[in-house]
Amino acid sequence: MKYHVRHVTKYLYNEPVSLCHNLVHLMMRTSSRQRTLWEELVVKPRPEVLAPQTDYFGNTVHFFTIQEPHRQLSITAQHHVEVDAAHPLELERSPPWEHVASWVREGRRADMLDAYQYVFNSPFVATRSLWRDYAETSLPPGRPLLAGVMDLTTRIHKDFRYDPRSTNIATPLEEMFAQRRGVCQDFAHLQIACLRSLGLPARYVSGYLRTLPPAGQARLIGADASHAWIQAYCPGFGWVDFDPTNNSRPSDKHIIVACGRDYDDVSPNKGIILGGDQHTITVAVDVVSTETALN
Amino acid sequence: METTSPPVASAAGNLLHGYRPPTGVFDEMFDAAGAVRAPWQSFHDALGKLGRLEFTQRWQDAREQLRLNGVTYNLHGDSRGLDRTWQLDPVPLIIAEAEAKKLEAGLIQRAQLLEAILQDLYGKQLLLQECLIPPELIFANSAFLRPCHGITFTKNRYLALVAFDFARDPAGNFVVISHRSQAPSGAGYALENRIVMARMLPEFFRDCNVQRIAMFFRTFRENLRSWAPHNRDNPRIVLMTPGPRNETYFEHAYLARYLGYTLVEGGDLTVRDQRVYLKLLDGLQPVDVILRRLDDVYCDPLELKPDSFLGVPGLVQAVRSGNVVVANALGCGLAESPGLIPYLPALCRRLLGSDLYLPSAQTFWCGDPLQLDHVISHLERMVVKSAFPGQRHEPTFGFKLSRSERLKLAEQIQSNPIAYVGQEQLQLSTSPVMTEAGVQPRHLLVRSYLTPSEGSFTVMPGGLTRYSATPDTTIVSVVKGGGSKDTWIQTSGPVSTFTMLRSTTGEVELSRGGGDLPSRAADNLFWLGRYVERTEGIVRLLRGIFVRLIEKSDLSEAPELPLLMRALTSLTRINPAHIGEMPEAILANPQVELLPLVYDRERVGSLAFNLRAVYRTAASVRDRISLDMWRVISSLEMPQLPDPTKAPSNGHVEQITFSDTLDVLSNLIMNLAAFGGLAAESMTRGHGWRFLDMGRKLERSFATIQLLKETLVPAIPVEAPLLEALLEIADSLMTFRRRYLSHVETAAVLDLLLADDSNPRSLVFQLEMLRENVLRLPQNGVRAGRSMEQRVALSLVTAVQLVDIEQLAQVSTQGTRLNLEELLDGLDAELPQLAEAISHHFLSHLQISRHLAGNK
Repeated sequence: MKYHVRHVTKYLYNEPVSLCHNLVHLMMRTSSRQRTLWEELVVKPRPEVLAPQTDYFGNTVHFFTIQEPHRQLSITAQHHVEVDAAHPLELERSPPWEHVASWVREGRRADMLDAYQYVFNSPFVATRSLWRDYAETSLPPGRPLLAGVMDLTTRIHKDFRYDPRSTNIATPLEEMFAQRRGVCQDFAHLQIACLRSLGLPARYVSGYLRTLPPAGQARLIGADASHAWIQAYCPGFGWVDFDPTNNSRPSDKHIIVACGRDYDDVSPNKGIILGGDQHTITVAVDVVSTETALN
Repeated sequence: METTSPPVASAAGNLLHGYRPPTGVFDEMFDAAGAVRAPWQSFHDALGKLGRLEFTQRWQDAREQLRLNGVTYNLHGDSRGLDRTWQLDPVPLIIAEAEAKKLEAGLIQRAQLLEAILQDLYGKQLLLQECLIPPELIFANSAFLRPCHGITFTKNRYLALVAFDFARDPAGNFVVISHRSQAPSGAGYALENRIVMARMLPEFFRDCNVQRIAMFFRTFRENLRSWAPHNRDNPRIVLMTPGPRNETYFEHAYLARYLGYTLVEGGDLTVRDQRVYLKLLDGLQPVDVILRRLDDVYCDPLELKPDSFLGVPGLVQAVRSGNVVVANALGCGLAESPGLIPYLPALCRRLLGSDLYLPSAQTFWCGDPLQLDHVISHLERMVVKSAFPGQRHEPTFGFKLSRSERLKLAEQIQSNPIAYVGQEQLQLSTSPVMTEAGVQPRHLLVRSYLTPSEGSFTVMPGGLTRYSATPDTTIVSVVKGGGSKDTWIQTSGPVSTFTMLRSTTGEVELSRGGGDLPSRAADNLFWLGRYVERTEGIVRLLRGIFVRLIEKSDLSEAPELPLLMRALTSLTRINPAHIGEMPEAILANPQVELLPLVYDRERVGSLAFNLRAVYRTAASVRDRISLDMWRVISSLEMPQLPDPTKAPSNGHVEQITFSDTLDVLSNLIMNLAAFGGLAAESMTRGHGWRFLDMGRKLERSFATIQLLKETLVPAIPVEAPLLEALLEIADSLMTFRRRYLSHVETAAVLDLLLADDSNPRSLVFQLEMLRENVLRLPQNGVRAGRSMEQRVALSLVTAVQLVDIEQLAQVSTQGTRLNLEELLDGLDAELPQLAEAISHHFLSHLQISRHLAGNK
């Protein structure tokens, strides 16, 4: 499937900002299923410094600096991207989850070490016995890893309600868990916390969903903003996607931007401003299937 | 509890008489039979020659020197005066040449090892794949700074300064206990210890062939200079401190001064065009090298720890793009984990191809099941440390815990074993320490420092020796009440006489003229000037009041007192409403009302409160004021009265307290005069001095205006005693007498205090100086014409110059000097505008940074 994606972030400041430094994760990661055909990042006002680089997790990140006083800032990322459908996987044929945990813990091959780093605590996700208990229902001893993770995905979808007003970035996961409401970032963080509490590697994916569903299908949640889901690692299968918000295994309706330990590693825009006083932010995301548009 | 051996036999001037080292440990100075060890013989001879009396006298002087130099260690990171004077023992630790050589080789090897480990972990991470370092020690460690992975350096290395703590075990062997790769502290204290000791016992250094340490600092400085990515001939190097609240802030200021670097806080720096700039009064100047004393995670709120603004947004990117070098490199904290210690022998063989020369104390990382078992089953012998920083977990000593506490600790460890390290507790060696209770043994821990040199490292021939607080504990910590010793490394070769103290010139630094004045420092100097002068105004007024309270038995003898009290209220801004309205009531019980105004530190506006502000502000610009000025500041002390409100109120006690207070006030006036003198005579007329002086002139103007407003606007029937008091408070009595002999008249006093431009205490003199200072400030960014502060200053001077004194002195039918009131009110309103204009123009760099809201 081919898409045109447009992600616009706008800041309005009450007072002029004399200097800002930003780090943006807005360019798309390439994978075996996903290719970027064209991309563009436009920042206004024009930054004096705009430096692309690759972060520790293999994502493209842009550092930019605006040194002229400004009262508004807009960041627009646009892409043409092609996503292949995921191959069907026989989840039940994946190895028992305990085996995966110990392989990753004891393996020292580069790919195992790479997976192992996603077992540990990160800024937004800390392991707890609370999460382990919740996860064990889906992952009893001997359960094939991927089947168990799919079950966990379904349970989170069922047990939690999507409610954009219920949490913000600073809401602790425990609080979200107690109130059983949250948004896609929260559900992704929770599922990662569950898997890590069992010693399993899991990582956070930021990305997009196609905005308009094919005729006759329901519109997916989180389609007009950045979306988030997770990947679990399974030797022989690699990183496998799960979307607890939509109770699905992402295929060609999910477009990956970046992967990291949690939101903090891949947040679309981090910035520090000098001056500015109060500010407001607006975000708009459009994901249009170019194949549909031709019809 | 340790037992002690029989007292040693020492002829060393009786100084060490009665010293009993504990048995079962190694004593540095005496062997098991109580005889002096060979390396100490020359020290003992020199001590014998000097004699006990002279030694004690010199030690007194040395301690006084430390106190006056303000060598402190801030115990609780509190800037309000919990600074503790640095404790130095007069008996050094002496290490013989042969032993020192072995130590040196071992420490150099370890420094190379840590450097190689850091290069691998921030590069290819082969050590993880080769099973030489458990990945948990890296992945679970918040000191592993992922944004700094893969940054390559062309010239510099990770470690510019690395430190090792070692001790001697009961068999007399050196054992390494820990290492510091983040931003090692203590080198500055070691230096200060050496300077004090060299002054105290110069002949000992000769007799004992002690190696000098100045060369080490020269090598260190040369390293940083040569690492500069730009301007290598004359790079701008800054020392970045977390600020005056940090426990070792003294050392930051001290080292900055010694090395010739500008002391900066994160807020003094800014990143533009991926370069770091220092915000100076006259604009931004590029910075080439940052020597940091701030932990790396705090160095950049954009890419590292976001919840702290101690650092510089964009710094990581500036490092990444090769435009600035940070030393130690960002990320070095990773190697500091004690969890690495068990793996060092294998790492050394792999990375350096040799066995580890110096042993480590037996250390176990609990992430390994076998090591965990050992720690749990031997907890009573273990010192339990945190494997990762940030947990703020002080080392726990197993032997100090009860059975149930040990069980709890074991549980805590088992719940997250990778985060804990157990280290076999060592019986540290002892050495004599001079205490209040005589010579006693204390346990020692030595910190040694290394810096790169010619492809390898070089060791400071000296170091910081610390000793335990009591003979019974082997816990060595300056925070826990221990102290320090100088460390003497002997040599049979010639002693280098290189010193950096006498002259750091001859090198290119001359061209700078010491002109770097960060805006923050200018701001602090401005406020230092204001606080000093505000204090002086209050002290002078208080003295005038106390003299009268003591001399006059009846209030009717001193009609000026109520007016002076009113002025005091206005000056201290302390207004228990009644002071102004019913001064008689206060004067009836001045003990309760007045003494807190002098002594109560907690009362905003009191004399004690202002003195503290002086101290705190001065402490934040220690690197910018001379040692002599600092000594004056340190001596601005006041006794603390137990609780003046509870003092018995019989006349006798009251009398004594007042005259005591008078002594205190007179003393303060002398010391403040000394400060003023030093500022006038010894500070170069750079922008720093100008801001200090503007602060003073501004505050003196305020004081004069308040004083005249409160005392002369309402005209009392008999003014002569009041006028005399005013002249005395304004230190202008002599001038007046000379001019007018004994006839005191209001107009003449007004002229002298307001409009006489030859009187350095007159208002017009202050304003004229302010105008001149403002004219000389850098005028960058200002278009043609006068700047705001120049206009306000000119308007103020002109207003006073144009007054008609006779008119001002006229009294209306209501008994008020209306013209005077109008003038003073006008000045009172305009003066703050000048202060604001100055701040706005020069100090507005000091804007606040904040995070952008994230989108969710």
